[in-house]
Amino acid sequence: MTFTAPQIDYAGLSPIITLTAGVVIVLMVGLLPRAGRWTCSVLTLGVLGTAAGLAIWQWGEHTDLVAGTLRLDELGLAALLIALFAAAVTVILSVREPAAEGAGHGAFYALLLGSVLGMAILSMSQNLVSFFIGLELLSIPLYVLCGSAVRREASLEAGLKYLIIGSVGSATLLYGFALIYGTAGSTDYNEIAQGIRNGGLADDTLILIGTAMAATGLAFKISIAPFHQWTPDVYQGAPTPVTSFMAVATKTVAFIASIRLFELALGPVEASWDGALAVLAVISIAVGNIGALGQDSIKRLLGYSGIAQAGYILSGLVVFDEFGVEAIIFYLAAYALMNLAVFVPLVARERETPFADDIRSVEGLGGSRPLLAWPMTIGLLGLAGIPGTVGFMGKLFLIEAAVGGHFTWIGVAIVVGSMVSLAYYLRVIAAIWMRPEPAGAGAPAIAGASPEAPESNSAPGSTHGGDSSASRPGSTHGGDSSASRPGSTHGGDSSASRPGSPGGSRCWLIVGVGMLCAAATIFFGIDPSPLVDWAANAGQSFDPFAG
Amino acid sequence: MKEVAFFAGAIGALGGAIAVIGLRNPFYSVLALIVHLVSLAGLFLLLQAEFIAAAQIVVYAGAVMVLYVFVAAYVGNVDEPLWEPIPGQRFLAPLLGVALFTEIGIAIVGSGLKAIDSEGPTVKLGFGSPEQIGKLLLERFLVAFEAASLLLLIAAVGAVVLAVRREDENAGESAG
Repeated sequence: MTFTAPQIDYAGLSPIITLTAGVVIVLMVGLLPRAGRWTCSVLTLGVLGTAAGLAIWQWGEHTDLVAGTLRLDELGLAALLIALFAAAVTVILSVREPAAEGAGHGAFYALLLGSVLGMAILSMSQNLVSFFIGLELLSIPLYVLCGSAVRREASLEAGLKYLIIGSVGSATLLYGFALIYGTAGSTDYNEIAQGIRNGGLADDTLILIGTAMAATGLAFKISIAPFHQWTPDVYQGAPTPVTSFMAVATKTVAFIASIRLFELALGPVEASWDGALAVLAVISIAVGNIGALGQDSIKRLLGYSGIAQAGYILSGLVVFDEFGVEAIIFYLAAYALMNLAVFVPLVARERETPFADDIRSVEGLGGSRPLLAWPMTIGLLGLAGIPGTVGFMGKLFLIEAAVGGHFTWIGVAIVVGSMVSLAYYLRVIAAIWMRPEPAGAGAPAIAGASPEAPESNSAPGSTHGGDSSASRPGSTHGGDSSASRPGSTHGGDSSASRPGSPGGSRCWLIVGVGMLCAAATIFFGIDPSPLVDWAANAGQSFDPFAG
Repeated sequence: MKEVAFFAGAIGALGGAIAVIGLRNPFYSVLALIVHLVSLAGLFLLLQAEFIAAAQIVVYAGAVMVLYVFVAAYVGNVDEPLWEPIPGQRFLAPLLGVALFTEIGIAIVGSGLKAIDSEGPTVKLGFGSPEQIGKLLLERFLVAFEAASLLLLIAAVGAVVLAVRREDENAGESAG
């Protein structure tokens, strides 16, 4: 047996190599005695930026990497770019995150980069083995990040819940993969499709069971109903920056990986899975939208809304044509912008008020903090699909794809779901603009024991340390606060950004990111053509439909 | 020769499995489990699955069993009943066991045992051999292989993040 070293295209692998090096470097730098929160986060942003630059450089290449296990094309790079953007926003949101403080910034960002690395591998993988490894590399750091606010019981519960449910999903997926491999005789997507076609295995029981199990496992990851039960709890319990990353990046990459798996490898059995996935899409739309109606916690609300949105996006997979893929990519990009526009103000507000992620934390926001209120409003309107936002265009394309693919009834479900969704999105918007600010909203107070309270005054970038002590009248009972309510440990970080306070621009970075996402939501809503071209470019690079 | 090896492995596997649940001392149960796993590895060798046999011994009989021995050493000597009696368990357990046995028996007999005289699936020469697996890991699955090693690093970092002793742990404990 002779060994021939595989042809390695280092240019094509460069985003992955960058991220790998980034994990190690950030981890090591985090251990340096004088590494502060800014050192690690700037370094992480640098790694993410470099990877994004290399991904843009490789845009337009179409090759198989490393003996065909990875596929370099715009589809994977598009998913990677969205994931890198979400990760960058998460890093900015995490700079003052108590969970990152507790875990150590180096380790926190290394885990985040590890998850992004898994996403890069997953979105490019063209083989069952690299798919599974990528998925695990994506998930395992996320389990830890969810539980990284170890002083909050809800966070630990979220981490454990996500670990158990995620493992069930992974095990189901792996079992399905084993059956597919056993029947089709290969782990390579193209060879699987060929094996199924040549062997006439499209109706083979083992292939169908394998497909069903793979779909179930992925549905756990994407949180498609009825495999969604973990989502609201985990979204609520996890530190909010991590939630925003999970909501956007995981969903994007898992959908892109599903596109490759189902439309390339399992394309020959399309007739068997499209009906089942269509039903799942409609169930998701119904469950997500109805579940979100009565939620008082904004993070839970966004969790249910994410389930509904996953249902919308799934319709693009069901139609099994190029327009469906393009609609998915467009909507995933839109979803990232809109969701981050909502999450960014939520993080800021969570640290300013004692209400954590309860809807009361945003009441009266329109009057007191318009710079936070606008991104949130625009993001929510976008998620609801109001014309003038990118969400409307995204839904339009999805419905168009569904109707074109003879799944008109899913299009109807999307429209009805969007109408229902207005009820809960508008409720939050009403709270932002029409309610008075609740008493005590500006006095996070109960965080006297917060670990970063003394530190935040001296942190670089904080120009107004003196202000925070003045606006913290209730801090006397801080000693017992850390477990009393989720989010209360954030308090000490925030008080200085009160309206009218001399240094109210303290979270200018957070406000800026929120405004950026909101501006993009509006911009691409009015003139979607750049994003449409981008999505079309990515969608056309992946064309298994001819065979 | 083949038959002798098969029966030696089969008797070891079955005997070990019965001893695991039959022995009262958990430490002996762990040792019996090792006998079971090593016998299974022998059966894998008989099927020419050398890699699985080696992995079975290294991973299960080696690493995992050491963990079991540690656990047994920590908690095994307690004079507590090994099981928590569930009401009706003595009646239900054999019933479910017989039902499962019947089901699997029907499934096996239902297949007509068609494969028993055949040579098994036709695979390429050397399929599943250690050489070929090693070759695959360094050629085709190079990225997956490297990613798996990075995954171990990430898992270790994650374990440290969750388990590290915080400076303000006492404050946290008094609050929680």
